[in-house]
Amino acid sequence: MSAAAPARDRRHLLIWLVPPLLWFTVFMLIPYCMLFYYSLGSTEYMTFKPGFSPANLIRVFRAEPYLSVLLKSARIGALTAIGATILAYPVAFCLAFHTRSARAKFVIYLLVIVPWWAAYLVKAYAWKTILGTNGIINALLLELHVIREPLTLILYNQFSVILTLVYIFTPFSILSIYAQLERIPTSILEASANLGATTFETLTKIVIPLSLPGVLAGAIITFALATGDFIAPALVGGADAIMISNVVINLLGVAFDWPMAASIGIVVIGVGIALISVSQYVEHRAQARF
Amino acid sequence: MTTIIEVRQLQKHYGGPLAVRDVSLSVNEGEFLSLLGASGSGKTTTLRMIAGLEIPTHGSVLFRGQDITNVPVAQRDMRMVFQDFALFPNLTVWENVAFGLKLRINRGRINRGEIKARVGQYLDTVQLSAHADKMPHQLSGGQRQRVSLARALVTDPPVVLFDEPLGSLDANMRKVMQLELKRLHRELRKTFIYVTHDQEEAMGLSDRVAVLQDGQLLQLGTPDDVYFRPTCAAVASFIGAANVLQGIAEVVPGKPLGVQLIGGWRLDATDSAAGVANGEAVTLMLRAEQVAIAPAAGNTAGGLRAQITERLFLGEKIRYELKVPGTELRLTAISGGDHLRLSLGDEVIVTADPRHVRVLPRAAAPRVGA
Repeated sequence: MSAAAPARDRRHLLIWLVPPLLWFTVFMLIPYCMLFYYSLGSTEYMTFKPGFSPANLIRVFRAEPYLSVLLKSARIGALTAIGATILAYPVAFCLAFHTRSARAKFVIYLLVIVPWWAAYLVKAYAWKTILGTNGIINALLLELHVIREPLTLILYNQFSVILTLVYIFTPFSILSIYAQLERIPTSILEASANLGATTFETLTKIVIPLSLPGVLAGAIITFALATGDFIAPALVGGADAIMISNVVINLLGVAFDWPMAASIGIVVIGVGIALISVSQYVEHRAQARF
Repeated sequence: MTTIIEVRQLQKHYGGPLAVRDVSLSVNEGEFLSLLGASGSGKTTTLRMIAGLEIPTHGSVLFRGQDITNVPVAQRDMRMVFQDFALFPNLTVWENVAFGLKLRINRGRINRGEIKARVGQYLDTVQLSAHADKMPHQLSGGQRQRVSLARALVTDPPVVLFDEPLGSLDANMRKVMQLELKRLHRELRKTFIYVTHDQEEAMGLSDRVAVLQDGQLLQLGTPDDVYFRPTCAAVASFIGAANVLQGIAEVVPGKPLGVQLIGGWRLDATDSAAGVANGEAVTLMLRAEQVAIAPAAGNTAGGLRAQITERLFLGEKIRYELKVPGTELRLTAISGGDHLRLSLGDEVIVTADPRHVRVLPRAAAPRVGA
């Protein structure tokens, strides 16, 4: 063994690390720095003026409608996360414990993944045609004489936004919960039943506590994706369902107030980092060692 | 003795060959019964059908005379100890043991004080009181298995099922746990049904052993029975080290049965010789430790000349492989005797006491050669 070998290994490692580091720097580190730089500036007659003032960051919390839209987005995000978790859990449970054949598992897995092969925009638009005045639901209800006039309550509001977001992001929750449930040995469920527990008792005392980290991870992903979404509110949301990303887009493209837009971005990123840190900690604490 | 568990014509089909075919047996109250077999013999599947973890394709399971084939796992009065321990990783040792009892609070059958006392008592029994507040992953394999044992016993079930409980422990821990199981069985007088592939474990622990192969029950009997009086060649060769030999019976009235073996060797058998006709093809079993050898030099009294082709020193015993005309023999000898001086290639004389030569029942003959 020559002493040069480790040094050469290190050089090789460095060569392998260059592309990802470069990627990270160009597409993430620099943009984030720029975002932060813009957030500290100001605008005069719709043009950007560099500066070092936290005024815009403060305005996110003080001036309307930023904070209320931010809170509303967070609420829509939270409801989406809850809805996606409730829908995802039974599917993940079936996939983990009640699908014995590998083929059936693959088929269900595929059914969960396949919608992601279609563009998001198309799927959101599909909900518009389902829920709209001349949509499938209204047509059906009219045909059955359940209603006399098309329902307008089901489109262009927060409900339709949450419905669309739940539909789109549930696969993330399914995969995340499934990954956790898959780690639970079947013998543990058998032991619980053998000790006299009903299926419900096994679920509440053993399975759900053990799957918490997966549930949490899935909920954080769906929450983050839904909170920052701008397509669903733009397509199926009305005036009532404007979300924070729509506000940012307007600030950028209509008002040309880049510092304000950047400030909102910084706040959202900050909240995101804080949430992920807390959930990481909780997940780590809740993670049972098998 | 009263029968506590009976299985009748139990069958399990997963697709492919039958995992369990027509297994019927009954277990006596308070008995330690082992299901012994190689992997794929159907022993675990049989146990899981008794527990209710598998639904039989055909046949029935009876508990104290009542058909429980369709009774759900949770309502069967038996507890199982799993090979992978199956402890609940989110609960402490104490909570694991208390799990089954706590479920009964909701059903109004026990109070908290009793639970505390019982869990404490059983943690004591398995010597884990000091570890009550630990999580399962903080324990060693042997400790985990003792938790799983306490968890099964604490609810005072009449029947305890064991699915290769010592399979994942190292050799020394296995021996410790074997003694512990034997002691627990003696003290608690519960019915133990025990699955294992380890024949020494099965024989050492059990009152009776059921030998399974390819989903079939080959023999059910005391350890003595299956060892010395196997009903077929498969049992003879599976348990211990045995020589299964083919030969032609020579019946001469007033004399012990003689068997002319294929290699030209002739053995007398005084045991179990009834009902064999002259000229009939028979299968013999000769246990490896009951073959006697002596150095060939100057000795020609009735034995068979053989050559040592392999010699394995195993500590308390030595294993020899011998080449004799037409076949091979295996032999084990207690180490420390003259045999120590025999080595590879040596010529020896092989003899067998007629009392130790066992003629296997006729039905077994087609199975030989395995």
